[in-house]
Amino acid sequence: MHLHSRHAHTARLARGFADSYPDLFSDYFRRCLCLFLGRQLVQVAERPSSARHSLRLVRKFISDHHLVLVSALTGYEGDQFFGGSMIMVLSTLRMPILGASALVSFLLLFPVLGLAQSSELESLRATVKGMEQQMQKALERIDQLEKEKSSSSARIGEVEKSVQAVQSAPTALNPSMGLVLDANVQNLGKAGGNFDFRSAELGIAASVDPFARMYSFINGTKDGVEIDEAAAITSSLPYNLTVKGGRFLADFGRFPKVHEHELPFVNEPLSVQRMIGGETQADGVEVNYLFPTPFFLRATLGGYNKIGEDNDQVSNSKPRSWSQFTYLGRLSSYFDLTDNHSVELGTTMAYTPSVRLAGDPSGGNRILNGIDLTYRYQPLSSAVYQGVTWGSEFYFNNQRFPTDDTANRSKSYGGYTYADLKLNKNWSTGFQVDYAPIVDAPAQRTMSYSPYLTWNLSEFNRLRLEYYYLNNNFRGASKAENGNQIFLQWTTVIGAHTHGFLSR
Amino acid sequence: MKMKLFSCRSWKTILLTLVFLSLQTGVIFAQQIRVVATWPALADITKQVGKELVSVDTLATGVEDPHGVPMKPSFVPRLNRADVLILIGLDDEHAWIPALLEVASNPKILLGRPGYIDCSVGIPVLDAPTRVDRAEGDLHPKGNPHYLLDPVRAKIVAQNIATGLSRNFPQHQQAFEKNLKAYVAELDNWIGRWEKMAAPLRGVKFVEYHPEWIYLADRFGMSRIGSVELKPGIEPTPNHIVELTQQIKQDKARLLIYGSQNPRIPQQISNETGIKVLRLYSGGGSGPETDSYIKWIDYTVRTLVQAVSQT
Repeated sequence: MHLHSRHAHTARLARGFADSYPDLFSDYFRRCLCLFLGRQLVQVAERPSSARHSLRLVRKFISDHHLVLVSALTGYEGDQFFGGSMIMVLSTLRMPILGASALVSFLLLFPVLGLAQSSELESLRATVKGMEQQMQKALERIDQLEKEKSSSSARIGEVEKSVQAVQSAPTALNPSMGLVLDANVQNLGKAGGNFDFRSAELGIAASVDPFARMYSFINGTKDGVEIDEAAAITSSLPYNLTVKGGRFLADFGRFPKVHEHELPFVNEPLSVQRMIGGETQADGVEVNYLFPTPFFLRATLGGYNKIGEDNDQVSNSKPRSWSQFTYLGRLSSYFDLTDNHSVELGTTMAYTPSVRLAGDPSGGNRILNGIDLTYRYQPLSSAVYQGVTWGSEFYFNNQRFPTDDTANRSKSYGGYTYADLKLNKNWSTGFQVDYAPIVDAPAQRTMSYSPYLTWNLSEFNRLRLEYYYLNNNFRGASKAENGNQIFLQWTTVIGAHTHGFLSR
Repeated sequence: MKMKLFSCRSWKTILLTLVFLSLQTGVIFAQQIRVVATWPALADITKQVGKELVSVDTLATGVEDPHGVPMKPSFVPRLNRADVLILIGLDDEHAWIPALLEVASNPKILLGRPGYIDCSVGIPVLDAPTRVDRAEGDLHPKGNPHYLLDPVRAKIVAQNIATGLSRNFPQHQQAFEKNLKAYVAELDNWIGRWEKMAAPLRGVKFVEYHPEWIYLADRFGMSRIGSVELKPGIEPTPNHIVELTQQIKQDKARLLIYGSQNPRIPQQISNETGIKVLRLYSGGGSGPETDSYIKWIDYTVRTLVQAVSQT
């Protein structure tokens, strides 16, 4: 191995010798000379034992050709003539090594030599013509050596790759994992402040087998640990179908199915919290269908115990009639207006045939509809630095709520709109307006206005400052949901972290 | 009111529309292999290898930041219809392709399936990190993925594409191999030209914004002395810029190359040091001068040589 690398090194030197001085050796004669010397070097490289022999050849070359050399060189003046004489004298004095080195240094030091006159070149050409072929062979040999060298390094590369593959095999069988920390310090107006350890979310994902993959988000909060999501998804069904089962965020709207730390704001909009019950966490099953249309069109049909993490209208653990489950249908589409502008439009309906609330044993159906519209400006060539997102969602809830001694149907509307402006790679800012009714008393509502500033130190490290002004049109709102609020949020990620396509 | 959607009549209309649409797409593309390539340069090489047997669709246009391609849902139906997917690999597309494949409902082109053609197989990789830790920035644990800038490595890419297409469509293997041979010969011819053309680049010291140019530099003997980014993917701090300007002055770097990044910082460094700033995209296809792989490399080498001659 050591020997091989030394040979390769010498061969490289020989090649470099000719390559590095293209101007110097442009002259025909000296190019031949260089080829000759190069060939000797290659021979030495291949068989170090032949060094003595090569040296003899060089010596012989000089003693054989010194007259030619001198006749070529005496045509020059001054230093060049001196150099030529030195070579002649040294070689006739039978000190060929010195002569050779003088020749080499001479050639290197006086590039003007390249401008030999054409008549002299003619005679030189005749002298060295016979040698040229041999030297050409030497060059080919060098090329061949070079090729062998590169092919062997490619082989080494392959070996390294397979070693890597073997080394990473055990980790490849482990699922990819990541942990997200989401903490903030808050001041909730008259209610006071708090260091809010909101969540440490452990994400785990991997393929199950060729037919399915699985992922889970296990969320630890200040209140305890719970399985936020754990679902299996088919990966190889035909007819553009995908089936998802387990506990997951149901495909309702846009932000309701996004984990809170992934939102462009510190907090989930109040309208989502009140009308849906927080994230659309649901235990159930979903079927997705991707339409074979030229544009993006996707349908979801789902059936769940209930939708909404904090929705306490239905219990996850009590068996009941199938009419008391929630069924969902969603269509989402996307259109590129131009390369840089796009619109996303979605509509969802969650239908529960019968909701039995305490105090209303006869029950009635519940319809929860949503429409989401997102406009994006993402200039292709500078999407990392610039961009505008304008997103809005509108919700409609219709269901019966028990009042004093009877139950009445109440309809409520709510939603939010926000615009987010990317200032540069690391900074963005935006403004959110939210309208949140209280679903069982729709005349009561909270408006909130909220500017925010986001600083992404890197893809995995984010600071966000957000101010909320909450305005209630009713008395008796809790102190924490009234007036001025300030949040400073710090979100960091280690390991693999992705919520995939749906929470883009 | 919404329940109307589920009435028999609407369903019939929807179904008919669907059948019609699927028939239509089927007729148009029945003859050709539907290839989706992530980047234009890959698409061009695929066209050279597949010729009339393939119809190639490209996702990125070539002007995007190599690590900031917007994940557009409009890519989903295109991936859904693909017979094969051709990508750079080495995690180059990790920020958008895996998530799109999750919803594309196309088992043929999932990772590990025959239709997933990773062009980085057998590429001698540079810049492979010795320490994998995000303190080093946005890492590519498998090595620098911008190998397409080296035309010699592009021969391996063409080979990988031919192998991948033959794996999926063995009936056309001979045609692919014939086209591959012709294309590699053409490339070899060009490589000879480029090596001559690039002689002035030998030994030129340069600074890059993001580590994208190492393969090209390695091929033509340029040497990289630093990058504008503090770490790959991490924007520079003021301190880092001060250090970099000192280094540029000290090492007499002659070129600062950037692509899809913000021109502000390169300009600022240029004002301070007099270094020549050059905007070159590390992906082909960004304009008419770079719409084929060979044209792109030719344009890149020419522009570099021209810029060096001006310094």
